[in-house]
Amino acid sequence: MTSRNRELARVGGPVLFMSTVAWILLLAGPGMRTHCTVVAPADVLWRASLHILIAMNPPASLATGWTLMLVAMMSPVLIQPIRYIRLRSFTRRRTRSIILFVTGYAAIWMALGAVLWSIDLAAKFLPESYLVAGGMVVIASVWQFSPIKQRCLNRCHAHAELAAFGVAADFDALRFGIMHGIWCAGSCWALMLLPMVLSRGHVLAMATVAVLIFGERLEQPTPPSWRWRGPGRAARFVVAQARIRLNARRLAYGAISSSA
Amino acid sequence: MVTYTRANAWNNGGTFANTDLLWYAKGVGAMQARAIGDPASWWFFAAMHGQYLQDPKVPIYLANGWGAIPSPPTVPLANYQPPSSTQFWDQCQHQTWFFAPWHRGYLLALEAQVRADVASLGGPPTWALPYWDYFGDTKQYKQYSIPPAFTQLNMPDGSSNPLYVAARYGPDGSGTDIYVPTAEAIKDHPKNPPRGKVTQDCMCNTVFKGDETTAEFGGPDTTTLGCFWHGGGKSGLLENDPHNLVHNYVGGPNTEGLMGDPGLAALDPIFYLHHANIDRMWAGWNDVLGNANPTDPNWLNGPAACGDAVFVMPMPGPNSWVYTPQQVNSLSQLNYNYESFASLPKCVPPSVQLAGRLAKLGASIAAEKVKAGTTVNIGRKVELVGASQGAVKVKGSMVQTSVKFDPSVRNKVSTSLAAASETAPPDRIFLNLENIQGTQNATVLAVYLNLPEGANPNDHPELLAGSVGLFGLRGASAPDGRHGGQGLSFTLEITNIVDALHLDNKLDQDSLQVTVVPSRPLPELSPITIGRISIYRKGN
Repeated sequence: MTSRNRELARVGGPVLFMSTVAWILLLAGPGMRTHCTVVAPADVLWRASLHILIAMNPPASLATGWTLMLVAMMSPVLIQPIRYIRLRSFTRRRTRSIILFVTGYAAIWMALGAVLWSIDLAAKFLPESYLVAGGMVVIASVWQFSPIKQRCLNRCHAHAELAAFGVAADFDALRFGIMHGIWCAGSCWALMLLPMVLSRGHVLAMATVAVLIFGERLEQPTPPSWRWRGPGRAARFVVAQARIRLNARRLAYGAISSSA
Repeated sequence: MVTYTRANAWNNGGTFANTDLLWYAKGVGAMQARAIGDPASWWFFAAMHGQYLQDPKVPIYLANGWGAIPSPPTVPLANYQPPSSTQFWDQCQHQTWFFAPWHRGYLLALEAQVRADVASLGGPPTWALPYWDYFGDTKQYKQYSIPPAFTQLNMPDGSSNPLYVAARYGPDGSGTDIYVPTAEAIKDHPKNPPRGKVTQDCMCNTVFKGDETTAEFGGPDTTTLGCFWHGGGKSGLLENDPHNLVHNYVGGPNTEGLMGDPGLAALDPIFYLHHANIDRMWAGWNDVLGNANPTDPNWLNGPAACGDAVFVMPMPGPNSWVYTPQQVNSLSQLNYNYESFASLPKCVPPSVQLAGRLAKLGASIAAEKVKAGTTVNIGRKVELVGASQGAVKVKGSMVQTSVKFDPSVRNKVSTSLAAASETAPPDRIFLNLENIQGTQNATVLAVYLNLPEGANPNDHPELLAGSVGLFGLRGASAPDGRHGGQGLSFTLEITNIVDALHLDNKLDQDSLQVTVVPSRPLPELSPITIGRISIYRKGN
């Protein structure tokens, strides 16, 4: 096994396994989140509508769904920072530091989740759900191409210095998670909100966004500007690796044929 | 018989009596006469390495814009129009295992363009780029000095000399004594020698591919984890010493010359002779010392294997040249050679090195077995042994800090050294300078271990862990630069020093003292920050 594959097995393997399990649960449990647009006619009090809406989307259920969504979509982009923590920590502290990092990261996303779900629930009061979805596509697109998005992505690549000993090491791991979460949330909030406001195709939209988020994280940091950002490098990577493997097989087949 | 042979720039005293240099100057002059956007121009080629023409909004670059550099050369900015395609610019590969192959292709392209100009001016059609062998012997010429043709204001015919550059200040910053502080040069400059000797130590390392915590000859594999890792700014051994150090010493300390900044360096014609020597060292590492380049498809196919931009160079004529490391893997496939490899060091094979180490550690029977050819499986487990507590600010003439050990991991190291054998080879130990940030590009830091308080570092070469050149520090520290503000990191192997501490019963202590000595005192207002200093073991 090459050192690259060993690294994949150590960090990437468990992380991708968790992500896969989360995707399966999301696909298997569509009832985890109730999609129901509330139309509030003039003679119904909005408080009553809100009450019904919350009853149909209990916070515990929303939190569970949001957690699954995070694990499914965001855990693959944590492979690199987790690997960084492993390398920069004493062996006996690695697990503890990774847990603290993930705690800090998840805290940011859970807080943001409360905000995003509130927006989503508020949007249910609007009668024209396609207008909400359309508006969200516009907002997400503007954010996606903006210099601020690039700034957030650049900061996602900056990994904090980690103290090695004692409370300072714990604090640094937690702080790293929080800061990484903040920049990650800054980069992805609009993309994450997009599938939430859709009344149909929720999981498909999530998968598309997850690929986009993973792909754009592969890009190198670059000066902020208005520009297209997508999974271009990821796509080129897949094509290039396929070509390399095909060529290797062709060469191996040629060698076997000529020796025969 | 190869068509092109790159010869020593110091032939005929390194003056214009060396026709390689005379024609190089004429070729450079022809290229400098062209507009920036012309792919055959000197400026276009320099921008392929790095440039400060297209990022005017990045404040950090403003002070070093191409319009502000002392003349000569004078960059023709008056009618500057950005080229329609910038696929050629800012390609240079640093802090990656693509460092050597990208620069080899870059040299070939520049050489082809100069050769085309030389031929059109009536020069030899087989002209090849000379190399500056600063490690060459000093019996006839002080080869550590820049060849005199580069310091003359005028050519033999009285015209201005395109090889002369105003912003080239040398290790003492005077601009009058441009040399590379090799061991010989330092002996000849007893009054004010810079700290941080330039060496060929990298040549006796036999492994090309490094990683995040250990350093090897060719640089870190930046395609780890499906190309998810962007490098983290760590130079390989060849890239750091001599490459980075020579850049910084020739450019000059504090007041940076062109050579001290990746976005300016290739404007100086000495750049290409320096890189021809680096390329010669890589060729010698392969062909003379018998070491192998990676066979990993991700190296052979270049960054394109990770979905990144291909290496592409303009060539004389209408077509550009797209290449991969596989296509520049050896000299023989490229139809050129170097005049001499005589100055390369004599290295003992790894098995003999290990046998010597085992004998020194008291495992004489194991040493004999290794000498006799017993295969040894070197452990690949990498583990943090100790770290500084907090960042280290380097300013003034020296700074000292301690790297605290984790006792349990230190004991592992001690046990590994005490019980070394052919089946359990002793750990290798590495010192890491992590995430160095700052604005003083042209700085060299010499790093010592357990230097006694008040001692003169020059009196303790046995405690020198190595020197690092912070070439490209400013760009690597920019939050929105290619490194995402991570700065530069370096790894120095300290196995020999740790072995000596172990044998002196000085390893079982709480910490190691690390002393960082800048080649010249750093200004108080522009300190350099080392994010963390750490020690790693690599073994079983």
